[in-house]
Amino acid sequence: MSKRTLPRILQTPAVILLLIWMLVPLSMTLYFSFIRYVLNSNIRPEWTTPALSNWRGFGNYAYVLKAKDFLFAIQNSVFIVGSILIITVVLGLAIAVLINRNFPGRGIVRVLLISPFFVMPAVNAVLWINMILDPVLGLQGIAVGGINNLVDGLRDFPVLGWFFNLWPTLEPISFRATQTSAYAVIMMVAWQWTPFAVLIFMTSLQSEDESQKEAATLDGASPWSQFINLTVPHLARPIAIVVMIQSIFHLSLYAEIEIVSRGNGNKNLPYLIGEFTSNNIGAASATGIFAVILANIIAIFLLRMVGKSLMD
Amino acid sequence: MAAVTERSNFGKIAWPIVAWIVALIFFFPIFWLVFTSFKTDADAVKPEHLFRFTPTLENYTNMTQNYDYWKFAINSVITSTFATLFALAVGVPAAYAMAFNPSRHTKDILMWMLSTKMLPAAAVLYPMTFLTKNFLGIFDTHFLVIVVLCLINLPIVIWMLFTYFKEIPKEIIEAGKMDGVSTWGEIKDILIPLAWGGIASTALLTFIFCWNEAYWTVRLTTIDAATLSKLIEGNRAPEGLFFGRLSAVSTAAIAPIVILGWFCQKQLVQGLTFGAVK
Repeated sequence: MSKRTLPRILQTPAVILLLIWMLVPLSMTLYFSFIRYVLNSNIRPEWTTPALSNWRGFGNYAYVLKAKDFLFAIQNSVFIVGSILIITVVLGLAIAVLINRNFPGRGIVRVLLISPFFVMPAVNAVLWINMILDPVLGLQGIAVGGINNLVDGLRDFPVLGWFFNLWPTLEPISFRATQTSAYAVIMMVAWQWTPFAVLIFMTSLQSEDESQKEAATLDGASPWSQFINLTVPHLARPIAIVVMIQSIFHLSLYAEIEIVSRGNGNKNLPYLIGEFTSNNIGAASATGIFAVILANIIAIFLLRMVGKSLMD
Repeated sequence: MAAVTERSNFGKIAWPIVAWIVALIFFFPIFWLVFTSFKTDADAVKPEHLFRFTPTLENYTNMTQNYDYWKFAINSVITSTFATLFALAVGVPAAYAMAFNPSRHTKDILMWMLSTKMLPAAAVLYPMTFLTKNFLGIFDTHFLVIVVLCLINLPIVIWMLFTYFKEIPKEIIEAGKMDGVSTWGEIKDILIPLAWGGIASTALLTFIFCWNEAYWTVRLTTIDAATLSKLIEGNRAPEGLFFGRLSAVSTAAIAPIVILGWFCQKQLVQGLTFGAVK
């Protein structure tokens, strides 16, 4: 066995498995996207089995492009992922800088901070939408109700009562409407992934060149200009990694959307595919192909940006 | 000068307090989940019992009866464990070959592997259901869940192992070759002992990802191989009902992983940075 063949043999199982995993279902999706294929049809029973005779060409694609939710689902996907990325990177940076010093109980602070990252998405969604954000029974509802009661009580107060009479009665926000449930999803996912960003940034901050900073201090550079000119360039790579890994995970966000927004109109691309899959497989597959194209555009962009530098 | 010391003295006290407050805010939702799990379903939704209530364990003692918790938990343990083991069994030799005998195409292969991770799962949901239900007949089996969990994590496993293996000096492996050690011997006696820490943290992270996976495990199972993700997603109650018991079963679902994560957080961070952040 020569020096070259053995390594190939060792990596072959991984390559073949991933190839099958990628190509077999994807080529089926491609095939279904070009035929008429529905799960239930009383009028056209022949469409309920996949067959070449039901060829529809690009009809499914045209149908999906015209579907009213398609553009909204794409925009919403990008909106949700983009918002999560901005929140986690900004908050993550701030918190990493905050705890990157010695203080009592730092170890415990780290453990408390990282915990949300290990919570399973289904529990995360159930916890936030019910126990925390529910407008009546969740903490939000209870807190708003408590403030309203308090202000109500102060209205009869002598001399100052007029002040509280002019106060508004607060309305709790329902996070189960189309747009607000997207905010709820962003909130819960950002809560879960900010710790991840914090840990990566902290690891990177600890390797920052301290002598450079001391020199800058001696030269009279302010802490802010040190942060902008020394720390931020040093963090460019970890920021890129946080963005890349999170994009991989959040583009296929599903459990949270499913739990928060069943039936209220909030959706991203994967959720729209799920809706089509309940009957119209042709349209679901065409949407799937669009999702693959979108993911590829983002993947090429991200891997160019980050991937190559990971190899060196 | 005086102003500077004053400010830094203030900072010495103020910043740690801010850090503690931030950490407590982040931990609060988990605390609230555990806290609510000790209330009865009726108490859990009454503002007057927000903090004052008689703690009860009935949500936990009734968990088996209400949710059949153990069945799902055992499924989670089985599928996550075997998926992790299989991913390592395929990933270690592949990462070994890529790290110590790289070819011209190694970089591209690694990139391609990572890009498979970006394929939206939803795009291939129906074909997967169709294949496993009508064609292979393995829908809702442990075997299917294990294979799928193994495959979706394989790219990350190989990447992480690759970055760990790259740190090992090539000479050590070469020396083994000179002594006439077989490839299997190299992996077993030289590589695995040297890279033990990296392999362990890869395994831990993979296990966590498997345990928390909530797309395929929900959609490719009905009851026999359903995991804890499916249990929680399937039982999310209509608004306000059963907050107590739902909190208890959710706590039980996340506790093993959160505690595991606490003990291994340092190793996990290293692995997650793909070796790009030192």
